[in-house]
Amino acid sequence: MQRQPNIRYWRWLTLFCSFYCSTLLAATPVIEISIKDHLFYPAEITIPANTKVKLFIRNLDPTAEEFESYELNREKVISGNSKTVIFIGPLPPGEYPFFGEFFPKTAQGKVRVK
Amino acid sequence: MINAVIFVLQETLEAALLISVLLALSYQQKQPIHWLFTGLLCGLLFSALYAANMPTISEWFDYVGQEVTNASLQAAITLFICLYAFSLRRSSSPSPNPLFFITATMSVVCAITVEGSEIFIYMTGFFQQKSHLQTILIGSSIGFAIGLSIGVLLFYLLRNLNNKLLRFSGLCLLALFAGNMLSQATLQLTQADWIPAAQAVWDSSQWLSESSVTGRLLYALIGYEATPSMAQVVSYLLGASGVLLFANIKRLRNPLSS
Repeated sequence: MQRQPNIRYWRWLTLFCSFYCSTLLAATPVIEISIKDHLFYPAEITIPANTKVKLFIRNLDPTAEEFESYELNREKVISGNSKTVIFIGPLPPGEYPFFGEFFPKTAQGKVRVK
Repeated sequence: MINAVIFVLQETLEAALLISVLLALSYQQKQPIHWLFTGLLCGLLFSALYAANMPTISEWFDYVGQEVTNASLQAAITLFICLYAFSLRRSSSPSPNPLFFITATMSVVCAITVEGSEIFIYMTGFFQQKSHLQTILIGSSIGFAIGLSIGVLLFYLLRNLNNKLLRFSGLCLLALFAGNMLSQATLQLTQADWIPAAQAVWDSSQWLSESSVTGRLLYALIGYEATPSMAQVVSYLLGASGVLLFANIKRLRNPLSS
């Protein structure tokens, strides 16, 4: 009989955690970027201010590329013909350039935060 | 070509800095340098394996496997450098010091695995695309040679110091390196969303941009960040102070010993 409150407590806690996790997952917008012929598509993306965003990047080239941004403080190698994820933000409004470190002359892009 | 020079130089510098300091302290401690050959060989092997398996590793943990692996290796480097500092003896002695050998080897293996894998991936891409291969090979060789030369120069600068000053300077450089590694590990976990992202504590990009050649070299040498988060600053200080604390732990426990 004494265990009843404990079970109820754990049920509420599980329910709260599930709700919290699903809210967190649902709240992260995903933006897809492709790399093709050492160019980013789209080269410019717009994201809301003060919001965490998940960049889902597909490298359609056979060669690897490194996503790099000094302004976003991000750096990640993306193997050829593969996909990856990079989280950015929350960021204040502004423009944040990014580039491909292996092919910096062509692979250039920008994140606009509004 | 300049991109290849800077890219390879940046990757080579970190490992070259670590190896030169470890090597100079090795001579000061009168310890054999077998760890260097073991570390270089295993490091190159692991970096090739890491680079070859990068597509699979990147997909781990819901596509953040690369960040988690890099962060683990960088945190391991910090730990090994702390233990290396602990293994240093006050007075140099040729008697075997197993902890010195293991920690020096493991620091070099982890450092070369992280830095070397990126060079392997970079070079492999151009081997598939023959058009720029020659330019990239020349640029990479120049970058590697400059990095190596800076490492050799640092080694001889340290070797010319007296024992006390060499130990002090070596430990300070190792502390900066360990701080840099732990700060980079924190940044990797933030990128993977395992640590919550936060606003930058300061912005020094107007004085020294991270994208400038000086900024990039300082990033490789001392972990310069123009816009670090609080978590990065704290982890940098933790890593750096950890090395100094471990180096003096014996003296702190027994103040009369030296």
